[in-house]
Amino acid sequence: MSKRVLLCDDEPYITAAARFKLSQAGYDVECACDGQAGWEAIQRQRPDVLVTDCQMPQMDGLQLIARVRSVAELANLPIFLLTGKGMELPHAELKLRWGLRAVLDKPFSPKELVRHIDEALADQSAAAATP
Amino acid sequence: MSPARFDTIVAVGGLVLASACTVAYLAGWGLGEESISSRAGLLAGSALLSAALLSLVLCRMNRNAQLAKRFLDTICEASDANHQVAARDALAALDAGSSWRPLLKRIERTLADRQSRLTDSETTRAAIEVRCRRALADQQRMSDIISSIPEPILVVDGYDDILLSNRSANELLGLDGMQAGRRALDQIERCQRLIALVGELRRYPSHMIRTESIELEDLRGTRRWYNVSVSALAAPRADDPTGVDPSGGVVVVFRDTTALRKVQKQHAEFVSSASHEMKAPLSGIKAYVELLADATDDATREEFVNVINGQAERLHRLVENLLNIARVEAGVVKVSKHAQPLNDILAEAVRVVQPSAELKQIAIAYEPSPLYLGVLVDRDLMLQAAINLLSNSIKYTRPSGKVTVSSRLVGDNVQFDVEDTGVGLSEEDCVKIFDKFYRVAKDKEMAPGTGLGLPLAKYLVEDVHGGRLSVTSKLGVGSRFTITLPMVARGSTLVAAAAHV
Repeated sequence: MSKRVLLCDDEPYITAAARFKLSQAGYDVECACDGQAGWEAIQRQRPDVLVTDCQMPQMDGLQLIARVRSVAELANLPIFLLTGKGMELPHAELKLRWGLRAVLDKPFSPKELVRHIDEALADQSAAAATP
Repeated sequence: MSPARFDTIVAVGGLVLASACTVAYLAGWGLGEESISSRAGLLAGSALLSAALLSLVLCRMNRNAQLAKRFLDTICEASDANHQVAARDALAALDAGSSWRPLLKRIERTLADRQSRLTDSETTRAAIEVRCRRALADQQRMSDIISSIPEPILVVDGYDDILLSNRSANELLGLDGMQAGRRALDQIERCQRLIALVGELRRYPSHMIRTESIELEDLRGTRRWYNVSVSALAAPRADDPTGVDPSGGVVVVFRDTTALRKVQKQHAEFVSSASHEMKAPLSGIKAYVELLADATDDATREEFVNVINGQAERLHRLVENLLNIARVEAGVVKVSKHAQPLNDILAEAVRVVQPSAELKQIAIAYEPSPLYLGVLVDRDLMLQAAINLLSNSIKYTRPSGKVTVSSRLVGDNVQFDVEDTGVGLSEEDCVKIFDKFYRVAKDKEMAPGTGLGLPLAKYLVEDVHGGRLSVTSKLGVGSRFTITLPMVARGSTLVAAAAHV
């Protein structure tokens, strides 16, 4: 069964581009246009990877991440944060605090994102294989 | 001949005459044996003559004595300024050569001398008084000037006593509440940092001025930022007159920088917001360019190219908006007005924003008036204003909402509305949304924006075209933006065009 990726971004073109590339790579992709919709999608069908934008209506990316991490079963969900804020956000600190897989600056490369997700899932399955 | 000598001669003459008569009578010389009665008559006549002469002299002497007495009386009673007049009158009245005259002359000279000395000292006193008054007025003016300076100012002497403080300083630092008597720097509780600053200035005298930004609460309890400068009072040094004594007093000036900070913050937020806004289409372009490189079939490739084109268009519009607001700020907007139908401009605006509305599944209802609705406008600028209103409505309307554009004739004016079923605005926000950079707090979460679209639209409609842009709104129901422009007749197209050539 193909792995599920949830994309949260209020820019339809961003999600569309990422979805195209990820689908090509064999992922099952779901998109949400804000944090609230993203949270609902996570509860509905547990994704294997979460990719979220930072600035979104309703609930922003950081609020969504905080909510995800507050749930024990989602503690190990690989999360990628997309941001157009650049230096305004402390990348290293955020990575450490929320256990983010990576913080990707916008504009980002969909190919790069696919590579990151591949790696994350490979690491996860390797960790699961080791007793 | 002097009157005194005349008196003496008259008196002596009288006496000699009387003596001669007496001798003549006693000797009986020249009269022989004439009658006793004629001798007695001669004697009596000469005695009478002598008495008359003597009484004349006495009368004159008495008159002079009385004049002198009156003069001395006047001197005793009269005011200073009248002394000389009295003396002059008395001297004029006194017979020349009277024995009183030299004495009175001396008195007059002495008085004149006193009078002139008195006048001198009076002049000096008046001059001093004038200088005193001027100094007092100067001091009052200085104090008034310092008091009316809106910036709080404080002057502290070398012993930390507060020498001077203006009204604003009293209010800001709570000096009015201090006990009467000694007002000292260390009694200021509201600004401990100030005491430290003054101390630092004294410790490091090579720095004649120290400046620091300090946050203080004002009278109304609002926290404000002040740029506080503490400089040494320019008192010359005892050992080196060219230097300044740092152990002397200091002058403290508070400059309110709250507004400046706010502007700086707004500016930083604006740059951040603008670049974030630009990154969105840029991300789209970059991502799709990457996809385009990998695209296999023509249909997909065309789709990608369209997206890239759309995003480039969006980026272009944003840059255009930024540029326009910059032009507005600099006051260099080129305007070329032509009479044209408003509906054409509205239709074009609707066409431009249609794709972004479709993306959010927002329906745009276009309900133009069937009338011609001529307006004298710069097409590009009015189109920009209409697009800004439409984009704004689309931004703040949730998916599956509706935006209606309609136009009509109202009296001599042409009016068009952009009405949405969006989040709506509070009464307060209805006024503020036309302020540059203002963004409704909760809406910041809803959509990114520069806070420039509506202020620009208002400027374009009102300042450039003499129209009116207003808004009515209800929270949670929607907003209606209305633009009113003066109508021009269809025939005036030619006139207006000709006027422009």
